[in-house]
Amino acid sequence: MIFFLMRRLLQAVAVMFVISVIGFAIQDGLGDPVRQLLGPTATDAESTALRHSLGLDRPLWMQYLDFAGDAVKLNFGDSYFFHEPALDVIARYLPATLELVAASAMITLLLSVPVGIFCAIRPRSWLSRGLMGLSLIGISVPVFLSAMVLIQLFSIGIQVTLFPTGTGWGQWLNQLLSIQGGMPAYGRGNPVHVWGVWYTNFASWQGLLYLLLPALSLAFVMLPLFVRLIHAEMLEVLESDYVKYARARGLRPSRIYFLHALKNTLLPVVTLGGVQIGTLVAYTLLTETVFQWPGAGLMFLDAIERADMPLIVAYLMVVGLIFVVTNTLVDLLYRGLNPRVTLSGRAA
Amino acid sequence: MRLTTFLLGLMVGGLLMPLSTGAALADDSPITLRVAYDTDPVSLDIHEQLSIGMLQLSHLAFDPLVRWNRELDFEPRLATRWEQLDDTTMRFHLRHGVTFHSGNAFTARDVVWTLRRLQRSPDFRAIFAPISRVEAVDAFTVDLETRQPYPLLLNLATYIFPMDSQFYSGTSGGGLDKSDIVKNGNSFASGHLSGTGPFEVVKRQPGARIEFERFPNYWDTDSPGNVERLVMTPIAENATRVAALLSGDVDFISPVPFNAVQRLRHAEGVKLVTMPGTRITMLQLNEQRVAAFRDRRVRLAFAYAVNQTAIAERLLKGFATPAAQMSPQGYEGHVPTLIPRHDLARARELMREAGYGDGFSVTLMAPNNRYVNDAQTAQVALAIAAMLAKINVTVEFETLPKNQYWAEYDNRAADMMMMGWYSDTGDSANFFEYLTFCPDAETGAGQYNASEYCNPRIDALVKRANLTMRPAARARLLQQAEQEIHDDAPFIPLYWQNLAWAAADRVEIAPVLNVMNMPYLGDVVVQPR
Amino acid sequence: MSFENGSPSTAWRRFRDSYFLYRLQRDRRAQICLLLFGLLMIGLLLTPWIAPSNPYDLAQINLLDSELPPFWIAGSEPGHPLGTDAQGRDLLSTMLYGARVSLAIGFGAVLVQSLLGTVLGLLAGYRGGVVDALLMRLADIQLSFSTLMMAIVVGAVVKAAFGGAFYGDYGVAILITIIGLSEWPQYARTVRASVLAEKRKEYVEAARVLGFSSYRIMWRHILPNTLSPILVLSTVQIANAIMAEAALSFLGLGMPETKPSLGSLIKSGFDYLQSGSWWITLLPGLFLVLLVLVVNLLGDWLRDTMNPRLYKG
Repeated sequence: MIFFLMRRLLQAVAVMFVISVIGFAIQDGLGDPVRQLLGPTATDAESTALRHSLGLDRPLWMQYLDFAGDAVKLNFGDSYFFHEPALDVIARYLPATLELVAASAMITLLLSVPVGIFCAIRPRSWLSRGLMGLSLIGISVPVFLSAMVLIQLFSIGIQVTLFPTGTGWGQWLNQLLSIQGGMPAYGRGNPVHVWGVWYTNFASWQGLLYLLLPALSLAFVMLPLFVRLIHAEMLEVLESDYVKYARARGLRPSRIYFLHALKNTLLPVVTLGGVQIGTLVAYTLLTETVFQWPGAGLMFLDAIERADMPLIVAYLMVVGLIFVVTNTLVDLLYRGLNPRVTLSGRAA
Repeated sequence: MRLTTFLLGLMVGGLLMPLSTGAALADDSPITLRVAYDTDPVSLDIHEQLSIGMLQLSHLAFDPLVRWNRELDFEPRLATRWEQLDDTTMRFHLRHGVTFHSGNAFTARDVVWTLRRLQRSPDFRAIFAPISRVEAVDAFTVDLETRQPYPLLLNLATYIFPMDSQFYSGTSGGGLDKSDIVKNGNSFASGHLSGTGPFEVVKRQPGARIEFERFPNYWDTDSPGNVERLVMTPIAENATRVAALLSGDVDFISPVPFNAVQRLRHAEGVKLVTMPGTRITMLQLNEQRVAAFRDRRVRLAFAYAVNQTAIAERLLKGFATPAAQMSPQGYEGHVPTLIPRHDLARARELMREAGYGDGFSVTLMAPNNRYVNDAQTAQVALAIAAMLAKINVTVEFETLPKNQYWAEYDNRAADMMMMGWYSDTGDSANFFEYLTFCPDAETGAGQYNASEYCNPRIDALVKRANLTMRPAARARLLQQAEQEIHDDAPFIPLYWQNLAWAAADRVEIAPVLNVMNMPYLGDVVVQPR
Repeated sequence: MSFENGSPSTAWRRFRDSYFLYRLQRDRRAQICLLLFGLLMIGLLLTPWIAPSNPYDLAQINLLDSELPPFWIAGSEPGHPLGTDAQGRDLLSTMLYGARVSLAIGFGAVLVQSLLGTVLGLLAGYRGGVVDALLMRLADIQLSFSTLMMAIVVGAVVKAAFGGAFYGDYGVAILITIIGLSEWPQYARTVRASVLAEKRKEYVEAARVLGFSSYRIMWRHILPNTLSPILVLSTVQIANAIMAEAALSFLGLGMPETKPSLGSLIKSGFDYLQSGSWWITLLPGLFLVLLVLVVNLLGDWLRDTMNPRLYKG
């Protein structure tokens, strides 16, 4: 256990090191931060002075050593744009992203478990066939596209004029098929301030309304995968001897399905879910762009635009850390759920 | 499943919470205006940077000597009267009984001090270069002398926001001079403020918010403005800014992104104000890089090939005014007869005449930004490439983020450069001085003339206008220059982007807005809830 | 079934009698998919001849034709069956050309990642020891990041470092490299797993005893046995690469406006969604989904048929 955690820690350090080196290697590639700060009217003397005061005129390796030394102390330098510590900036933007990820993870779980189970129990019903078909299509829909479809449907709305408007039934059908829209699809609205420091969308109806479409579109990334996984695992478990035995013993079907069978599908679901939390964070880059959700992803893309190196590097480090931590937690959880696995990484 | 129920519980708990924390708004709360701009003033020192954000701050916490009104005339502020003593000297009579936020009294000494500081400011000194001497005649009279006759002195006076000379003099704790101007650094002035303006700074979190309160001893007791507390938040993301207004989070936003105009026009409880802007977007044709551009017929062919009206109406959804000259309506140099001249047949004919019937190939660069207002430049560049393709000209274009674009622009890295220019002086001559004058590194003339076009005759016309004190004669000269540039076509004017603001219904915003994009929020009236 | 000796087309005969074809004849879904895929391929190959206009030829574009709706909505024009985009480009043509770009990037990226991943996977699996440990830790680190995130960062840096014009000219090559480089660990792990399984088998042992060089053993003996997992992985990866390209283009890090892929079409149409011209963005989106779906379904079927040993995770 200790050995395992140590190895993970080493891996985390390696990831951080690689990211910081990459961040430094690309430093000059993104345009000149000095020019960005001073604007087009600056004289040469002014930019030289600022370059000197930012320490940008020294050899790269010296800048890197300085940076690495500070990074160990959790100091990634001041953002060129915000004039405050990069980590503070991220701390301000990250909660919005995490709320989005949490909400979509919740939606994914709440929808995929019942759908997956239903499709496994009633494989021949038209509903489960439709749902499985949908899940197959869902895998092939990029997240920004589902986001746009949601915006078109629920924010902009659809006016159907397919049927003759002169007739009563035509008008009725048109109205039936039209969608009003009006759902908020931009930004975070007005998050409620709770517990001193936390601005949240979870604490008001209006906040939840703003959260709904972005979270839903992000959930569509994982939902089809989860449905298919739970469905497949359930099918396998339902075929297993002990479920057959339980049936033979006359246990209530609901008890079999939800207690015995479901429990056995949890293992792969947890594994996939854990791995995918990191991926979800990556996909927020797209969701936040479409919905202009003021989270860390949008901040990161802005930072790239502004060549704000400290912020870019700090963001990559934080995301790398999130990946490593979730992966470690998943492995630990996996071990808790499945005693056959030793933590050296291989199944015994 | 247990985790889910736990999270669900959290959610429900969260829903109930606002009931306990929400009822904070008391009835006797001061009349508050919450404003969201796209940028944050980088500092409290209004001489640190020449930018729209700083000027907007200046109008809140300071007062200029004079300011523009909606008809683009001058309105007395801290100067009550002014008179031209001779061709080079103007006398300003200052307002009596004005006090700074610090309690110091406002006198001519502050004006002199402020002007000297402006002439030291890296960003402002170029604009104030024409002024040779400033002198306090008595406590409330100041003479401004220029090197040469200078007709735009009043335009300059809109940039003179007298600072509290006593407050900003001496040394601060660190032994530094309080009057220092330090870019992106920590000077006394960047963190402390004392002006004469309607609002005092109460609290500032850089990048997050500035809180103001109405200055109780504000001199302008005739101002209808009734805002007692003003909170300014920068919201850089366009859509978030719009959403903040729609959700009632803020009461006034500027600017409104063009693709939100339709939505705000029909939104309930919100009003939209638009005006044709004064910022010209143009395409500069570099004559040094491309030999063909030295042929006037080729330049004219380009001008005829581009359809400004289609760009403004189609791509920009009518949120821009198609342009065929630099000076917008209301400027002295504006020539009403110059309208877009799209004529493809004529363009082709001119290309044939010039011997370029088979066309040639050019490069084009345009700035690009993820924010929607500017993202359109990529679309505009593509549309122009398509229009020029019809006269057999192949355009290879690229769009760059702004920080990279300006480096390329300075190197004149492409045959055609897209350029947006806003006249700081609110006057036509400024366009010529920066965009069409023969480039001269010494004087800075033609600094943004990426056409590298040089026509001494037009330069002479504008220079003569700048020495002409009679407005009618001056306007004639500027209009003649505008006409000649149009006939010579060293660049293709594209459009003036419209300005748009939006506010909650209870904010009477329209009377305090102007094409200079400086909302005079000291005068705004807000209906109490 | 009888075998005639000396038949000129034994390859065809072998294919006709294969399990592969046997399964295909019995799977209606696979048939439809293959048909659709074939139609799409033919359509995309013949695009220059069947598209109503050439969207790369700017002279054919007229801004005054912009935002025409598709044929089933009033106001459409017969010359533009699926309407036009904000620039006045014929949407059907632009979509067809865009799909060609998307597919080319998908195939190219998979070629790059499979080559790289296979070589490194073979090396790691066969050599073992330090080489293996080093390569696999590298793969771990890279996989501990989302590949999309990698691609975005690399894309942004490349674009900034070399300039937009360079990006425009070599966009396809750059995107292939970026996506190819960020996904190689998938292949390396899969190949390594099969190599480890094969290595223990007798025929490899025999080859070694016979004194064949390890190079020859790897390429002639082990590699052929890892082909089926590579093939199955590749279909999935093509779909993924197309999606990754679309995502990059959507963020403005992909193909430029002048040579749009499906992703960049969706992006440029997004600005006009609010003004009611939904088709500019949603029709290319639909086409993208169709393309990816068909590839995914084919991959699904291949996996079921070949039943290879895949690295899971």
